[in-house]
Amino acid sequence: MPNPILTIKNLTKTYGENVIFQHLDLTVNEGDTIVIIGPSGTGKSTLLRCVNLLTRPNDGQIWLDDLEITAKGTNEDQVRQHIGMVFQNFLLFNHLTALGNVKLGLTKVKHMSDEAATVKAMRELTRVGLADRADHYPGQLSGGQQQRVGIARALAMDPRIMLFDEPTSALDPELIGEVLEVMRQLSLDGMTMLVVTHEMGFAREVADRIVFMEKGYIVEEGSPDEMFNHPKFPRTREFLWKITELYGKKEKEAE
Amino acid sequence: MDFGQFISYIAQGTVLTIGVTLIALPSGLLIGTLLALLYVYGGKAASRIMNLYSTIFRGIPPVVLLFILFFAVSKGINLSAFWAGSLSLGVVSSAYQMEIVRGALLSVSGDQLMAARAVGLSRLHAIRYVVLPQAVRLAIPPWSNEAAIVIKDSSLVYALGVPEILRRAQLIGASSQKYLLAYLSAAVIYFLLVLLTTRLLNHLENKLAIPSNP
Amino acid sequence: MKKRFLLVVALALVAAMLVACATESTSVLDKIQKAKKVSVGTSADYPPYEYLDDAGNKTGFDIELMEEIAKRMGVELEWVDMPFDSLVAAVAGGKLDMSISCFNYDEERDKTVDFSEAYYTTEDAFVVSGAFTGTITEPEDAANYKVGVQSGTVQDGWLTDNLVTPGLLPEANLSRYERVDQAALDLANGRIEVLMGDYVPVQALVAQNPDLQIVYRGVLSTGPINIVLPDGDVELKTEVDRIIKELQAEGFIDALAVKYFSE
Repeated sequence: MPNPILTIKNLTKTYGENVIFQHLDLTVNEGDTIVIIGPSGTGKSTLLRCVNLLTRPNDGQIWLDDLEITAKGTNEDQVRQHIGMVFQNFLLFNHLTALGNVKLGLTKVKHMSDEAATVKAMRELTRVGLADRADHYPGQLSGGQQQRVGIARALAMDPRIMLFDEPTSALDPELIGEVLEVMRQLSLDGMTMLVVTHEMGFAREVADRIVFMEKGYIVEEGSPDEMFNHPKFPRTREFLWKITELYGKKEKEAE
Repeated sequence: MDFGQFISYIAQGTVLTIGVTLIALPSGLLIGTLLALLYVYGGKAASRIMNLYSTIFRGIPPVVLLFILFFAVSKGINLSAFWAGSLSLGVVSSAYQMEIVRGALLSVSGDQLMAARAVGLSRLHAIRYVVLPQAVRLAIPPWSNEAAIVIKDSSLVYALGVPEILRRAQLIGASSQKYLLAYLSAAVIYFLLVLLTTRLLNHLENKLAIPSNP
Repeated sequence: MKKRFLLVVALALVAAMLVACATESTSVLDKIQKAKKVSVGTSADYPPYEYLDDAGNKTGFDIELMEEIAKRMGVELEWVDMPFDSLVAAVAGGKLDMSISCFNYDEERDKTVDFSEAYYTTEDAFVVSGAFTGTITEPEDAANYKVGVQSGTVQDGWLTDNLVTPGLLPEANLSRYERVDQAALDLANGRIEVLMGDYVPVQALVAQNPDLQIVYRGVLSTGPINIVLPDGDVELKTEVDRIIKELQAEGFIDALAVKYFSE
């Protein structure tokens, strides 16, 4: 029985005159990995930021489990504890070590004791393969390592859903693999994930569903097989063809 | 008067110079930081008021404020020359320090705040545990500059009759006609005070620096 | 219950105001005698009237005179040092009980403070450096040159009223200095050509610097020097005047003059 973790209904976001997206409907069930693809600037990042209430939509509703988080009077800080976010630019807290970064939410938000927080934080760092870098500062880590710490930081809060906003777009090609591998493992472990990315290989192999967004609309969505092999709309086919060409080349070179 | 007595007379003013600085600088920091936080995070109305405060107290020569506080304001409350002087300098410094802290807060990218909120921290906690610690490090170099300025500006309290370094140099110079020696001595003492302070702050900056790979 | 409370508060406020008013009208003399201490302002950068000795202590004609006056008032003397310009405002504002710093009577000053009886009489002098090629036979001749003066002094007032305002001396050619020794320095290095000041301290400067010389001496702006007292305080003035007369009669002041003003 599919259990919706995230339900988005009729969501609209405008910025002055510009319509970022409108009348969006999307459902993410428990354990699903949904990948959103599409040309840049079509509101994909903005959509993610609406989900964790960093931005407020102009119209529509969002539910996290049974709670309508877009309702007036919602405690936003509370809601965000249950939604993990991973940023394109990592956004680690520069003045804290990797361990410090992962612990901050545990001690200040979840009010865990220092010892308990350290234990949990180390567990998450181990999960992303960076236990040996726990005492390193962001300035001492590579981009891929920083992003993995970012993932650990989000995971430590035991979120209901993880949001990934182009997590590898700012990484050097050699470092992309280590991050995608962590994400793939997360997906296999059953984490509910909503991922915005250009990484088609990841989309094809890990996603349960792919959503193609353009010009503020969802053009089409379906399983990877449907989307790649028999898409309904020519625009979908066109976009995937172009992207696969580009990234397919990169993958071949990486091998 | 032999050389030793001469220098010693001027040097005795150092205690008061340090005293004025130790009141003006920290009070300026406290007020300046609070106002900067209001300026950056308090909304439009607050930032307008803070801007006005900054414009006023950076726009008046400090010595004018000293006179206003000592002669006019203290008709009601009796302030000694030392306190009128130190507090005036504290108020002036707070306007400059507010700008320093504000600059530091703004230099910490707004994304840091966003990332902290995404983890679930409240706005207050995000500012306190993520933005401020980073801002402090950014603020030290300009603050070191402000500290040097306050040490030197402390000489302005001479106008109210506080017998600090400059006033003593003036008196002994005029009384003995040895002006060059008097003012050179004063200059050397101020120089040493500023040197010591900037060295200390430099040391602090190094101690607090966040490690990174070059 | 609330009404009674407000009434009590109102009465307390009125009482406080009455007390405050009452304290206002008491003479500073009472305050001095109660505290057994008089606070006197001076700017000890004006030898030989007030300056620092080798040990860094205040000394000079005015200093010794004031110390004797305090002794005869039966109170301790507390010296408060301040730049000359600030002294009158400080007495007017109640920050000082009185001030002695070679003050001449001045109408402007009289508006905010009072003056004691004169305790001595001084003269004005015009000083030039060795490089001076002009002539000053009458005081008005100074208008032809670059003039320096200590700011806020009666000489400053005289120059402004008699030379600058009538247009004889351009404002730009009059330099005002915080202290007379600063003016003397500029005189020696040629930034100004003529210095107008009180004869006695100027004499002391000339004695130290053989390049300078006095070219004119007479009573123009100066004359009697007085102690500056709080405005309208009759009791204090009566007491101070009484002691000054006493000291004059005893020859105390003359002896001081010999000690400090001998050329």
